[in-house]
Amino acid sequence: MSTVSPDGPAIDLRGLVKDFAVGLRGVKLRAVDDLCLRVPAGQVFGLLGPNGSGKSTTIKIILGLLEATAGECRVFGVPSTQVEARVDVGYLPESPYFYRHLSGRELVRFYARICGLGGATLSARVAEVINWVGLTAAADRLVGTYSKGMLQRIGLAQALVHDPRLVILDEPTAGVDPVGSAAISELILQLKARGKTVLITSHLLTQIEDICDRVAILDRGRLILEGAVRDLVGGAERQALIVEKLSAQELEELRTWLGSRGRTLEAVEQPRARLDQIFLDRVGRSESTNREGGA
Amino acid sequence: MSRVSFSLTRVRLIARNTLLEASRQKLFSFLLLLALGLVGGAQWFREFNFGASELKFLADLGYGAMAFFGAALTIAATAQLFFSEIDNRTALTLLAKPVWRAEFVLGKYLGVVAVTAVFCALITGLLVAMLWSRESALMREFPDSFGQGHTLRIVDLAWAGYLQWLKLTVLAAFTLLVATFSRTQLYTVVTGFFVVVICHLQYLAQDVYAQGGSTFGQVVAGVLGLMFPNFQLFNFADNVGAGVPVAWDRVARVSVYALGYVAGGCGLSVFSFRQREI
Repeated sequence: MSTVSPDGPAIDLRGLVKDFAVGLRGVKLRAVDDLCLRVPAGQVFGLLGPNGSGKSTTIKIILGLLEATAGECRVFGVPSTQVEARVDVGYLPESPYFYRHLSGRELVRFYARICGLGGATLSARVAEVINWVGLTAAADRLVGTYSKGMLQRIGLAQALVHDPRLVILDEPTAGVDPVGSAAISELILQLKARGKTVLITSHLLTQIEDICDRVAILDRGRLILEGAVRDLVGGAERQALIVEKLSAQELEELRTWLGSRGRTLEAVEQPRARLDQIFLDRVGRSESTNREGGA
Repeated sequence: MSRVSFSLTRVRLIARNTLLEASRQKLFSFLLLLALGLVGGAQWFREFNFGASELKFLADLGYGAMAFFGAALTIAATAQLFFSEIDNRTALTLLAKPVWRAEFVLGKYLGVVAVTAVFCALITGLLVAMLWSRESALMREFPDSFGQGHTLRIVDLAWAGYLQWLKLTVLAAFTLLVATFSRTQLYTVVTGFFVVVICHLQYLAQDVYAQGGSTFGQVVAGVLGLMFPNFQLFNFADNVGAGVPVAWDRVARVSVYALGYVAGGCGLSVFSFRQREI
């Protein structure tokens, strides 16, 4: 049994390589190439990259669903090939498909019992996570009747039911409307506030920028960029001020005033509202939650 | 971090979920209704008993339906319930939990075994009721032919049903083994039916080569005989239908024989699935 350090990274990848044999001749396709990555505990970490860049393969190796060709993968210090490594991990797969013959409550209960929950705490915990993802009203409906957004939410509930320290979300907003997507972002931020580590992959870079502390970008299985979001997108040395429209004279006065202090007005732009923000304001998050939950 | 040991509770949970999934599928209901219909309707075919006694004919038809539809159900259910987990990616979610792959494989196996148990129990129950009812009617009609009371014994009819089920548990283990390394459901189903044929006919090959075949042929037949169980050993329907009591020691020996193949099949399935990339 490995020694587990409570202060160590949640995920530690060292020289990770994964080759797939393709075709009858077994030609090797390298999906992950010498990947070294540390996901610090308690942070929201974004794993980015185009399709086929090795994100899902990396996640599967972390979850012990695939075995690495070379290198090392540890989850809270435990090699990912061991069942013990998954005790503190919750996972929401991409485009989740759950047992359609179960109701939402039965599904979460099933996974809770699989994770060892039982006794008096079981029902309470199941009800708690279902309520947390906003599916209480639809909890007794068959999963087969759920919408895409509801499937993602029940997927989150099953991933969180055993209160894991690490939550892995593979494309949690894929195919979900902006309201559902915003709700999932909120849930992720709540997870962070509770001290959980979240590893997320998504093609919605705006969302990633909003919720992630750090990101890593993969391309063709290789790590090409990694760092804190704030450092990568810059901005620490610059500021944008949004004011009511200035006249040409006022603008000139402002430029002169800044010049007298050794500063430069670099750009004057017309700020535009983000379309997703307009959508959310109009549709209303809470209204949509009620609609989905009670549909 | 505590060590995660093999858990029978998780195996039971996966098995129960598998049984529930199967029971809500149309294929299971269809095959069950078809078999029940055939057994229940057998009384209308009793004129076609081809010279055999009527009760024996009914028993043969009933156990024959159980064997045929049971094999179809076992192969289809094993392949379907296993590949639905892989294809629908529910296995991803399940195996991402602290679950041993052996627990997953054994859970799926026991779920299918439970499906076949329900199937065999229902068919046997119906068959027993029908045979008992028909024999009672014949006793009233021909009292002289039944001087010593009922010739059929319920316990023997139940044993015959149990042995048919036992045969299906072996078939399920072999089909599961194929499913663990197969890439498609179709391949698993087709191979499963080949297994049924081989297991029913392998004793013929052994007999032929034992009576003067080549040494090589005898070795091949011997190896086949070891690799594949002889399904003829599970057939007690002929004796039961003729009113011959089932010997306890024979049931026990066949049970141990089946258990050996089930253990082997499941063990190899676990080994095969251990490295499967999902």
